[in-house]
Amino acid sequence: MSDTVTPDTPEKKPSGEGGKTGHYVNPAPFNPFSVDELTPEQERYYQASQWKIMWWKFRRHRLAVWAGIILILMYLMVPFAEVIAPYTTEHRDDDHIYAPPQGIHLFHEGSFVGPFVYGYEYELDMERMVHVYKADTTKVQPIRFFCSGQKYKFWNLFEASFHLICPAEGGTLFLLGTDRLGHDMLSGVIYGARISLTVGLVGISIGLILGLLLGGIAGYFGGLADAVIQRMIEILRSLPELPLWMALSAALPVTWSPVWIFFGITIILGLIDWPGLARAVRSKLLSLREEEYARAAVYMGANPSRVIRKHLLPGFTSHIIASATLSIPGMILGETALSFLNLGLRRPAVSWGVLLSEAQNITAVTVYPWLMAPIIPVIIVVLAYNFLGDGLRDAADPYK
Amino acid sequence: MSNRLLATALAAGLAFAHPSAGQALELKETGTLSNTHDVGKLPPVAERVPSEPLIVDLAASGRTTGRHGGKIDTLIGRSKDRRLINVWGYARLVGYTEKLELKPDLLKAVGVEGDKVFTLHLRKGHKWSDGKPFTAEDFRYWWEDISTNDKLSPSGPPKFMIADGKPPKIEVLDATTVRYSWDAPNPLFLSQLAAARPPFIYRPAHYLKQFHIKYGDKEKIAEMAAAAKKRNWASLHNSMDEMYSAKNADIPSLQPWILSEKGNDRRYIMVRNPFYHRVDSTGQQLPYIDQVIMTVSGGGLIPAKAQAGEVDLQARNLAFSDITVLKRGEKNANYKTLLWPIAKGSEMAVFPNLTVKDPVWRKLMRDVRFRHALSLAIDRKGINKSLFYRLASEGNNTVLPKSPMFEKSYLTKWATFDLKKANALLDEIGLTKRREDGIRLLEDGRPLEIIVETAGESQEQLDILELISETWKKAGVKLFAKPSDRDVLRNRLLSGSTVMSVWGGYDNAIPTPAMSPAEYAPASVDTLWGVAWGDYNLSSGKSGEPIDYPPARQLFDLFRKWEASSTDAERAEIWKQMLEIHAEQTLSIGTVSGVRQPVVVSNRLKNVPKVAIYGWDPGAQFGLHRMDEFWMDK
Amino acid sequence: MGSYLVRRLLTMIPTLLVISFLIFLIIELPAGDYLSNQIDVLRKQGESASIAKLEFLRKEYALDRPFLERYLVWLGAWSGPHGFDGLLQGNWGWSFEFEKPVSEVVGPQIPLTIVLNLSTILFVYMMAFPIGIYSAVRQYSWGDYTATTVGYLGLATPDFLLGLILLYLSNRWFGLSIGGLMDKEYIDQPMSVAKLQSILAHLVVPTIVIGTAGTAGMIRRLRANLLDELNKQYVTTARAKGLGETRLIAKYPLRMALNPFIADIGNLIPSLVSGSVIVSVVLNLPTVGPTLLQALRSQDQFLAGFVLLFVAVLTLIGMLISDLALAVLDPRIRLGAGTSK
Repeated sequence: MSDTVTPDTPEKKPSGEGGKTGHYVNPAPFNPFSVDELTPEQERYYQASQWKIMWWKFRRHRLAVWAGIILILMYLMVPFAEVIAPYTTEHRDDDHIYAPPQGIHLFHEGSFVGPFVYGYEYELDMERMVHVYKADTTKVQPIRFFCSGQKYKFWNLFEASFHLICPAEGGTLFLLGTDRLGHDMLSGVIYGARISLTVGLVGISIGLILGLLLGGIAGYFGGLADAVIQRMIEILRSLPELPLWMALSAALPVTWSPVWIFFGITIILGLIDWPGLARAVRSKLLSLREEEYARAAVYMGANPSRVIRKHLLPGFTSHIIASATLSIPGMILGETALSFLNLGLRRPAVSWGVLLSEAQNITAVTVYPWLMAPIIPVIIVVLAYNFLGDGLRDAADPYK
Repeated sequence: MSNRLLATALAAGLAFAHPSAGQALELKETGTLSNTHDVGKLPPVAERVPSEPLIVDLAASGRTTGRHGGKIDTLIGRSKDRRLINVWGYARLVGYTEKLELKPDLLKAVGVEGDKVFTLHLRKGHKWSDGKPFTAEDFRYWWEDISTNDKLSPSGPPKFMIADGKPPKIEVLDATTVRYSWDAPNPLFLSQLAAARPPFIYRPAHYLKQFHIKYGDKEKIAEMAAAAKKRNWASLHNSMDEMYSAKNADIPSLQPWILSEKGNDRRYIMVRNPFYHRVDSTGQQLPYIDQVIMTVSGGGLIPAKAQAGEVDLQARNLAFSDITVLKRGEKNANYKTLLWPIAKGSEMAVFPNLTVKDPVWRKLMRDVRFRHALSLAIDRKGINKSLFYRLASEGNNTVLPKSPMFEKSYLTKWATFDLKKANALLDEIGLTKRREDGIRLLEDGRPLEIIVETAGESQEQLDILELISETWKKAGVKLFAKPSDRDVLRNRLLSGSTVMSVWGGYDNAIPTPAMSPAEYAPASVDTLWGVAWGDYNLSSGKSGEPIDYPPARQLFDLFRKWEASSTDAERAEIWKQMLEIHAEQTLSIGTVSGVRQPVVVSNRLKNVPKVAIYGWDPGAQFGLHRMDEFWMDK
Repeated sequence: MGSYLVRRLLTMIPTLLVISFLIFLIIELPAGDYLSNQIDVLRKQGESASIAKLEFLRKEYALDRPFLERYLVWLGAWSGPHGFDGLLQGNWGWSFEFEKPVSEVVGPQIPLTIVLNLSTILFVYMMAFPIGIYSAVRQYSWGDYTATTVGYLGLATPDFLLGLILLYLSNRWFGLSIGGLMDKEYIDQPMSVAKLQSILAHLVVPTIVIGTAGTAGMIRRLRANLLDELNKQYVTTARAKGLGETRLIAKYPLRMALNPFIADIGNLIPSLVSGSVIVSVVLNLPTVGPTLLQALRSQDQFLAGFVLLFVAVLTLIGMLISDLALAVLDPRIRLGAGTSK
């Protein structure tokens, strides 16, 4: 019968075709949990540990990442200062006083020679009482790499003379020039990194220990302990740093070897810094203490140290690390200020602060400006720590 | 010597007593006086200048006659240094000339008999800066009412007034003549009067009497004492009686410039003294310069400010190392940098403290071989080359070639660079045990580490110490430099805590036989190699230690002999013996001498000598060169 | 509000007492004292008159008494040679180096110190404000990185060297006299337009040097607060509802973020005042900084003690003001919520 009207049967049509209904129907099997199911990315995110999330967030702050890389490179340099620096800090060349930096050249009179420096042509201008140095283009001094140069005592343990970079035999390699007694500035900067960079770390550890301890007590127990510690914090914060530094530094006996004086200074800087960390710890603890998981732990009978260690600590570790990182540059700058006041380290110990205080005069600023070169690593390190700290702080609260 | 001085004095006196000298000179009024004073309140110049002024012959010393006016801007590192105006002014009873001879200055003449009797003749009509007469009464007042008054001077009169334990007899012969008579010779007397920091054996009696219980109104004194927070009249008198420190603007003075009321804690304005006793040969009353303005600035900025042209005259707080930047600024800032030879025995000397309390160090310091070794282990040539452009002379801390007593051996004995000998000497003493780093050990096991204390005022000292420490290390001696504070250092020296210190070498390294060798004997606390002995001497045995070391004893006895000597030949011989002992004993370890002092002089400031000696005593820094004769050209 | 103020003031008093004690302790730490040093120095001159004078002074200022007594005499809580005459009675002490009352030495320096600190605070706010906002709004952009680098640069450079360099440059390029707070002719003159101009010109270098060091902290704070706000729900809502970006930020989050920003004076003042001490020394400014350093070096104890106390009080007042400002703006702090168990 051709006149019979038969309704269309709901046929299984392939997806994508409009078919008779015009809807799009997904041919895939129906999954009732599809809304709750996670995509692979989301799965990764939600299953990731706290630290992983922080790392991802940290990575977004590109400057912080670069800062971290730079700092790691610098710290790697610290144990090998003797090898990297072409000279030791005691080395003096009294034939090259106030010598300007030697530039590195590759081509000499058109032909490629490899990295080299030109020797100095020297004249003492008695009219203007100034050392005059010119590059002597006849003296080509190729730079040696992985060479045997000036002897040194590696970490004061054994003698060696292996250097990464040395001057040519009988030549000079003053890439940042020399100072008024003929010390190489570049070597000074490299050795100085050792002290200036570690001052921050050691000082901050002391500050951290004190800050965690006292801030923890104040935040967790509250009440009288809190009030007392808060008063202590307020008092220490309103005492100006300068005279504290002066008085405490004056108490360090000068017979102490430079190493001990260094530790003494870091202790002083750390002692003055703990209030900042303690405050941060305290405020964090105060809020975290009220969280349900913490209260649950207390009700279940955990003693305070367990509660703090297992439950509260993970919550604010990242914040503390961020705060601590931000305090380190203050210590580095503090060391330079102490050296400026003649209270910190002194030669033969060389730190960036010592070098900068030797450049603190009009002669260095106007006539021999390369003496101010240590200012650059100081700026770089302080900036790096600041950016690193910012990045860490941004990443510190991953569940925000 | 006494006869020579007598002759000079009489000759000088005669010259001024000559009537035509004083009257033929037509005095010109100081036109710029109104800049600093209310002219209405002052008498005309003929009444301000003494009727027997000191007439300066500028042409004879190669100088030009100047004009009144102008101000000298200079910088000082701390406010206390404003007292230097009384050093640079250098108006003394008797003063040194450029040839280092003593000539009467404030005094018209001095009569000397055998170094025992000194007759001081004042100038007629000489007035204090407030216009009141300067008379013999001012001398009497000082002696009878101040230095022998047990409330004002509990320890008695100053040492140089005592000869052989006895004070002088003082007679006021008339208003302008005073006579001091001692039983034993007192050759120190005149040279003390010419010192950079003089003893001021005269005071403005008319001003100070109001504070003295004997003359003043008791009630008024009590009032003033309370207002100034002073306990009693003596304390009040003492605080008002400040001739040197330029603290009290009210106290009358005889110096060319005096502190004025204007100005404040950071900017001291010294104005001319309208009653100054010197005139130039055209009749103009000195000083030419109206005002000396001393601004306090942090020491570190002074070279920066000098090269920017902010000063007219500056020597203090400028070190040789600043010379490059000073030369640079000359053109733009319109000044010249002069280089004056420094009159010190050594730019820096190392002083072992032979009176240190620690017994082990004491023994070592007193061993002459130890001192020799330390001196032989210094590379003076290297120091000269690295720091002084090879301009200085290397050698001991001793007199300079300019002095008539100089001998080459004094300079070079035990002052060569000989590490082998140094090591041998130290081995000889018995310091043969060493640590692994090569530093020797003392007999009690402590390492031979010497803490050398400095006054912390000079980077140059620290640089020299760094160079010294390098070579001492090669002899097995470790040096730690400890910069401190000047006053703290002195304190520690006195208490015997300091093992070794550094300071400049002898202040007076160009002595003539007539000058006192006190510096070279352990006679005062300035003798940094034997502070406790000097203390003992100054305090008359009340503190310090008696001398128990033969060379020191010899030096002290020679000094006493000099004080009792009567001829120049005798004195020269004593000097030579003392210098010989120093050269042989190396009581102080010198480095280099003859370093130059940069002096910034504005191109507008005239009559400043191009090359001149720069020293404290003698010299008074600018004083010897007669700052009152400098003048400002537009 | 009133009760909060009273409570804060009352807690300040014991704090002040402890601070004064600590200050006194620190000053007395190095051995010796000014007068003993001077006495020994004068011995060499045989200046017996001066020595007698100094012995009087020793008794006068109770320097021959034990430590605790000296402290209490200084405070004015114990009877000294002049009865009760210490800080509490308004006697700021005597300066041995300058030989006049501390009030006369430090008095003229206090207004300039305050002016300097105020101008640096202003500078800090002016610098930190735009940089902080930009950095929060455009987080992680290169503009953010550049702006914050500029802001942090001042912190990273050691003040003393930067000061010297700027002094020299301003002298070369602008003819400004080196150091000091005004040209030397005006030092003893009364205030005038010309003097004011000179002061302002000389204020530029110290303000920049001290201020740039404080900017970093402020930038960070503003940025952190603003970021906190920007992540909140109401901002997303407003954005979804179509509010323009600038208006969106200015109207709500900025105001919320400003509260702690303004109230953080308490954090700023200690570092500024302390930083200004060193910079004042280098630049030779007539503020309390160089006076303090010199007094500490020569052990001029009453002068040093007073300046330290002044600096500490300045800091405490700053912290009080910031706490008050915070209390006014944020009721939660006032009512003490969150601090009790």
